[in-house]
Amino acid sequence: MDILEEIKKILAEILDIENNIITPETYLIRELGAESIDLLELAIAINSVFNIDVNDDEIFLRKLRDYITEAEQQNKNILQYLAKKLPFLSRKRLEEIIADLEGGPTLKVKDLISYIDFQINNFTVLSVVDV
Amino acid sequence: MKFTGNRALILGGSCDLAITLARRMIEAELFPILTYRNEKGRKYISENLEDCQKKYSSLYLEFCNRDSIDSLLHQTGDDIAFMVDFVQGNFESLVASADMEDVFSYFAENISFRTEIVKRVARIMMKNKRGRLIYISSAAAKRPNPGQGFYAAAKLASEAIYKNLGLELGGHGITTVTLRPGYIDSGRGRKFIQDHSKEVIDKVPIKRALTKKEVVEAILFYLSNSAAGFNATEISMDGGQVNLWTSWKK
Repeated sequence: MDILEEIKKILAEILDIENNIITPETYLIRELGAESIDLLELAIAINSVFNIDVNDDEIFLRKLRDYITEAEQQNKNILQYLAKKLPFLSRKRLEEIIADLEGGPTLKVKDLISYIDFQINNFTVLSVVDV
Repeated sequence: MKFTGNRALILGGSCDLAITLARRMIEAELFPILTYRNEKGRKYISENLEDCQKKYSSLYLEFCNRDSIDSLLHQTGDDIAFMVDFVQGNFESLVASADMEDVFSYFAENISFRTEIVKRVARIMMKNKRGRLIYISSAAAKRPNPGQGFYAAAKLASEAIYKNLGLELGGHGITTVTLRPGYIDSGRGRKFIQDHSKEVIDKVPIKRALTKKEVVEAILFYLSNSAAGFNATEISMDGGQVNLWTSWKK
């Protein structure tokens, strides 16, 4: 299953937009104007289409700024702290996010893809272990 | 009455009202799924619906055991059109003398746990793009007697959860109604009514308690298509009790 194509279909339906304007680099909130109710619908659709558990706070990076504050308060390295809290995002992506914070909500389509990919692979690994 | 959907989850399914509702749902060709929290509850449902085999199911759910939600929803699957919530733990204590351990666990069970199941059922209903939830509150939410502060607080908090769900998801076909019955000649209320018949008559303008049948018919109506316009609201069904008390105070 092509995760990006499925995400584009879901977003196009929820936000009533053409799916050809959606790329991995598209910002969900800044560019597409997704609101909290849209994100709820998105989480439910992702759960249903990909058959994975979805934690809304994680997939939509809702606690990102809280994590950064926590790292600062505890004098920890922000990048390492975020890598622990958001293990589905690559170091490169976390660096991008940190550099992009002033622009507003940083969530991009590619973050959803990373989360889904991580959940699917995680589930597969667990299944193998179970067997 | 016409209904959009068939399967109805009834939380707190082993109380008399729930069983009366289940029976009435079966007559209306709905499929009730009643929850019970222990073996006694399971047996009670089974004995009282013995003549309705295969027209209902009963499943375990204990308010305080989060794993039981997983198990319940795994068994119900994604086909839930309605939910009626009768669950309410009983906890009477004066505020200034309450045991705080009891207070914490009471609110965890009756508010936090309820929120979790409401959230999860709402997400299932969103997949189906429709759903109707009825929360059975109480006239005591609005007008508690001394000793009912925690009960009323839990009821009002739960009402707020249901109300907001209806506000947030009404546009997605998920709607909610809270019903606040007064004295009902059933279950826990029956003994109180028998012991305090004069008080009931004095407090209730219609001079009697509600019958189970009246309450169940009202619930069924609010689940039906005819009541689709009611959403995110609380409806008193108390024979005028709360308003009579209000006028006295004025």
